[in-house]
Amino acid sequence: MGVPEIEDAKLIFNFGYNGADSHPIVQRRIVRAKQKGATIITADPRVTEAARIADIHLQLKGGTNIVLVNAMCNVIYNEGLVDQNFIDTMTNDYDKFVEVIKKYTPEYAEGICKVPADLIRKAARTYAKAPTAMILYGMGVCQFGQAVDVVKALGSLALMTGNYGKPASGIGPVRGQNNVQGACDMGALPNNYPGYQPVTNPDVQAKFEKAWGVKLSNKNGIPLTHVPHYVLEEKDPNKQIHAYYIFGEDPAQSDPDVGEVREALEKIDFVVMQDIFMNKTGEFADVILPSTAWNEHDGVYSCCDRGFQRIRKVVEPPKNVKTDWEIICEISTAMGYKMKYKDTEEIWNELIDLCPNFAGATYEKLEKLGSVQWPCRSKDMSDTGTVYLHKGKFTNPDGKGKFYTADWRPPKEVENDEYPLSFSTVREVGHYSVRTMTGNCRALRNLEDEPGWIQMNPKDCEELNIKHGDLVKVLNKRGWCITRCNATNRVEKGATYMTYQWWIGCCNELTIGSNLDPVSNTPEYKYCNCRVERLDDQKKAWDFVQNEYQDLRKRMGIRVVGKEAK
Amino acid sequence: MRHFVKGNPDLCIGCRTCMIACVVAHEGRRIFEIDPDGYDFNPKLHMVKTAKISIPVQCKHCENPACLAVCPVNCIKVIDDAVVIDQTQCIGCKSCVEACPFGAIDMIAQVGTSQADGSKRVVANKCDLCVGTGDGPSCVRVCPTQALTLVDEDKMKEVVNEKRVESAKASTYIFEAKEEQ
Repeated sequence: MGVPEIEDAKLIFNFGYNGADSHPIVQRRIVRAKQKGATIITADPRVTEAARIADIHLQLKGGTNIVLVNAMCNVIYNEGLVDQNFIDTMTNDYDKFVEVIKKYTPEYAEGICKVPADLIRKAARTYAKAPTAMILYGMGVCQFGQAVDVVKALGSLALMTGNYGKPASGIGPVRGQNNVQGACDMGALPNNYPGYQPVTNPDVQAKFEKAWGVKLSNKNGIPLTHVPHYVLEEKDPNKQIHAYYIFGEDPAQSDPDVGEVREALEKIDFVVMQDIFMNKTGEFADVILPSTAWNEHDGVYSCCDRGFQRIRKVVEPPKNVKTDWEIICEISTAMGYKMKYKDTEEIWNELIDLCPNFAGATYEKLEKLGSVQWPCRSKDMSDTGTVYLHKGKFTNPDGKGKFYTADWRPPKEVENDEYPLSFSTVREVGHYSVRTMTGNCRALRNLEDEPGWIQMNPKDCEELNIKHGDLVKVLNKRGWCITRCNATNRVEKGATYMTYQWWIGCCNELTIGSNLDPVSNTPEYKYCNCRVERLDDQKKAWDFVQNEYQDLRKRMGIRVVGKEAK
Repeated sequence: MRHFVKGNPDLCIGCRTCMIACVVAHEGRRIFEIDPDGYDFNPKLHMVKTAKISIPVQCKHCENPACLAVCPVNCIKVIDDAVVIDQTQCIGCKSCVEACPFGAIDMIAQVGTSQADGSKRVVANKCDLCVGTGDGPSCVRVCPTQALTLVDEDKMKEVVNEKRVESAKASTYIFEAKEEQ
């Protein structure tokens, strides 16, 4: 599906996707769809903006996604609301799928996911009866130990109702970060060359060896989230990671269990950081390479809907600051592989010629059309890309869609007597990702600043004798941080939520790094346990926050002036 | 009729772009150039999020403003169909804050001011519909979902007329006069 299609959807099923905070520009399209009469169903443990305007809000307990999806499939199956013709002609493995969902009656599901059985029925019927329905999912699906299963189950929900291969239907991952789709498209993955061509495929290997004139490995690399393991636990020096070249990323802030990440960064022999501003990872770097920002260079981004879009330089970078691609070329050349390009178009042309699915997306076409969604295989201007996939045929070798779902696996670390609350990371509008960029924007800093907030139900606050705005200590067995209490009825009792960009109110001190999805290797950012403690001496706590923040900024060489320079 | 900005909670996504636009309109573009710690951030409208509602709250520019009535130094005036606080004359007595039934007014410390005791001047602050800033109201202009509307006399008449038509359509009569015996 294409992002603009959202406005034409008859039904939007938002699952673990909070557009208003993650992508306000996408949320604008959801709001427009609603204005045009679309039905909105939102599954989210919190009252997000998308939940607030939804016709049906399925306020499930965190970590129970697949239970809810299976139960909706169960209702659609048992009430005969399936698209039998589509199932018969276009899909495989339906019977195996039905075997799994049989157990997930709405009543059984209610006991686990806490959504009333009748509401599950209503949502399932509404979804199945819509002329076309679109599923949008976000990190509320992906950042769990059981994530890929849920994606496939949502895909199966769309399969059983025939919601593929037509406009404003299907299932859309609204990605976690800007251009994360582009990073994947370009092969910044441990198992793929650009264009999703496996490194283990000998034909692909031969093609890239010929193009680049070097021998290439046919072995998959190490996923990002396995880095601490290969530093801290791997005994064989030949398999250990000794050097870490990090760009446009701040693992000391963004990765789960940052205590462990710090330990790994300390132990690695050599760390290079390449970024636009100083960040926490920079504290561990042996070398820092300053690079240009988004508005200081040319390039191509991929939107979450596979759309390539040109980005253009609008301001001159400071002297001696190079673009990422120039730095990579110079490092590569210094290491013995002469890499030289005159501009980004030359790089792009090499890339699309090596990737059949991107081959037609020339700069000329991107300029003319604004966005080109791959697959776009012909350079001819008549090939304008592919708005939605699976038209008449799926991409599996037999052209059919494959049903799949699984039984529920609970989150690894749940609430207990010592740590009685659940803890999840979320986004807030205004600050982007780890705040390397937006933390340096004056107006956005004014809107929200350290030490962030923990969202809590007012009943929990009352029990702990804390008020909205109080500084509190949040802790579990991995770590702790100090932040402010945000008492809000938008969250359920027993659950807490923090955004992950604050340096002082650093929620990744608590998150769990050891429960990765077995397929995607994405960590369980959305579930662990915690305890919240009241701080009796609020003044002392504020002083602590201020001092820590100023010390950190001083260590990073950030000039401290104005009212904070006391 | 005095104009006012009205928000639609079905469209608002709680992004607070309106609050930033408000500060830019009143502080000027210098906020993008000066030191981030060198100015105060005092939006004249405030995003409120309850369990079911997200909407910025701001002055309704009442026809008979309670704030204006209670101001002891007459620094609240009507300019171009807007109720406006003259912050240069405000003595910071907070009477208007108490009088306003909507929570539209708050007290702010003014940037770069210093009184005899060294403290900053604190004055009342509220929406002025961007009077005198040119391209206002800025909040209406920047809202990404067009959730905010500037309601003027024409808009008000239009909506009231629509309501009357709806009311007429729905009318039935139950008050038959009884025949006199």
